[in-house]
Amino acid sequence: MELWYTHLMRETIDQDSLLVQGNRACALGALDAGVRFFAGYPITPSSEIMEVMARELPAVGGVFMQMEDEIASICACIGASLTGEISMTATSGPGFSLMQEAIGYAIMAEAPTVIVNVMRMGPSTGRPTTPSQGDVMQARWGTHGDHPAIVLAASNVADMYRLTIAAVRFAQRFRMPVIVLADEIVGHMRESFSPEIAGRYRLTSGDFDFTETYIHPEMVREVHPPHELGTLIHPHVTGLIHDETGFPTNDPKKSEQFLRELHDKVVHHRGELCLYDVKNVGKGRVAVVAYGSCARSARAALKLAEQEGIPVEVLHLYTLFPLPVEIIQELARRVEFILIPELNLGQYAREVRRLAENWTTVVSMGRIDGNLITPRDIVDRLAELVGKYESA
Amino acid sequence: MAEGESSVAEQEPSVAEPRTIDHYLHTDRFPHIWCPGCGLGTVTAAFLRAALELGLEKDRTVVVAGIGCSSRAVGYLDFGTVHSIHGRALAFATGIKMAHPEFTVIVLTGDGDGAAIGGNHLIHACRRNLDITTILFNNNTYGMTGGQASPQTGMGGYATTAPFGFDEPSFDLCRLAEAAGATYVARGTSYGVRQLQKLIRDGITHPGFSFIEAVTQCPTEYGKRNPPKGPVQMLENLKEKAISRKKAEGMTPEELEGRIVTGLLHRDESVPELTASYARMLERIRKSADE
Repeated sequence: MELWYTHLMRETIDQDSLLVQGNRACALGALDAGVRFFAGYPITPSSEIMEVMARELPAVGGVFMQMEDEIASICACIGASLTGEISMTATSGPGFSLMQEAIGYAIMAEAPTVIVNVMRMGPSTGRPTTPSQGDVMQARWGTHGDHPAIVLAASNVADMYRLTIAAVRFAQRFRMPVIVLADEIVGHMRESFSPEIAGRYRLTSGDFDFTETYIHPEMVREVHPPHELGTLIHPHVTGLIHDETGFPTNDPKKSEQFLRELHDKVVHHRGELCLYDVKNVGKGRVAVVAYGSCARSARAALKLAEQEGIPVEVLHLYTLFPLPVEIIQELARRVEFILIPELNLGQYAREVRRLAENWTTVVSMGRIDGNLITPRDIVDRLAELVGKYESA
Repeated sequence: MAEGESSVAEQEPSVAEPRTIDHYLHTDRFPHIWCPGCGLGTVTAAFLRAALELGLEKDRTVVVAGIGCSSRAVGYLDFGTVHSIHGRALAFATGIKMAHPEFTVIVLTGDGDGAAIGGNHLIHACRRNLDITTILFNNNTYGMTGGQASPQTGMGGYATTAPFGFDEPSFDLCRLAEAAGATYVARGTSYGVRQLQKLIRDGITHPGFSFIEAVTQCPTEYGKRNPPKGPVQMLENLKEKAISRKKAEGMTPEELEGRIVTGLLHRDESVPELTASYARMLERIRKSADE
């Protein structure tokens, strides 16, 4: 496999200290993961991803298409995917809303593709150049009907590279769309990024190193073999409920079995899909659960809080969905409360609360003014809460 | 496919036994969902006869459809078939054709699917001049949802959502396609099946975006509310209204009012086809990288 730095080597920059933008790292990750079809539509703050793809994909023999809108973009990606190509698109809130129907189709038809959503403030046009994490629930439940979802969240430039690769692998293996959530901070941030730094990451669970034999479609449940249009199988692909032949069915038993299996293929592989990192395991009285740019602040807050006498455990989630149920419940048993900083009004806090409320208190720390949550903000809120629970 | 298994494509019929359109059909999926008297099957059969004439390979042909009565055709066809989402068949087809230029890609769509919800994709597909053949089944209504007005219902037409008569004009879809950049534009009817078959055949062989409007009848939903009633009467009406392009050339707009101009309406082979020009770009990049 061609390694990521081959793409960077074309730039005359000292490789030991490369400043790479998050959106660019995402595109480089896609190229290294084997993405050879990209269709997109310009939107702030994700446009750099498609700009890099426009330049780099033809050089590796891939197809880049600028489509007439985001609906056409994801539909073209699904079309390419059905022929066996590895495809991807990138967008932000308004475009992500337009893609929802087709995301449901890709889930139903079991067509792998990757959708990167660099989140900006919403609803509607909102504030296009301002970070937000307001699309978490849309990433989970945006398309209609009961459906499974795989949603990853990037917190820095290296994540943009590594999680994009992970998303491609998950999509191919589980034969469904995978959503990567970034936010404007992560997308536009420039950080030093090198093989050394990328390799330094160690996660508590899983990792980003996929073995050669990772993608075995037969390892997960299949309605029928991977579609490959233009082969002897002549598959029929449909968004209707279908049976093992691929053709529509109205049989109640088969319909329920089909939908349950779509869910089970994700839920039964939660251990493999849930990427996370936990700091200070068992050493904190309280915990912070965070993802995306807020996780950076949370990690920095850990040291600051220790200096101020508050031992804190930090759970950094890279996979938001499927929910890391066991990980959150174990944490809930150990700590007095869980604080969740996020750039929305508590979308993920509600998910954590329903998993953890039997054992601990879950406090949402939402911010929606367009500014980021700083480590200081988190420590101050922790101190406040510790005082409150001690006096109680 | 496991080794030793034979594919349908390999079971060649003998010379003495010429192929029929059953060759391209999943007859086990019959009976089809279309109503008695419906013209969609007639148009589908014209496409399949064109496919037989050209000897389209099942394994190298992908047929993409959207949502609606006409789009259900793909559920009976033995090609690689995609029953996509409402209005987006051309966007799916664009991904398929760009990823695999060697496939013959056909899009089956309706007047609601292709001209209303999918109108934006239609004009951009025409503009790109990708080698896709689009057959738009125009029956002037949304049949599957029960006879609502479509952009092609026409001024004064009746529909469940136009109970007092529709007061919006229609598109001239062929002029729309031509203006948007389609390089092969033709119109036929479900009455003139031989002409339609020829137009579709030539559209498939045309290297570029081909748009064929197939005007057809929906006695159940459109005919119920608009004269003439009944499939036979509707077909006779198509026969009377249809006029060849040649004959139409000498006629005034007033004389052409209400007529259906059929035949090859536009063909331009000077515009580069997109997959070919994309391949040339890749070649250019490869050469400059080698230097």
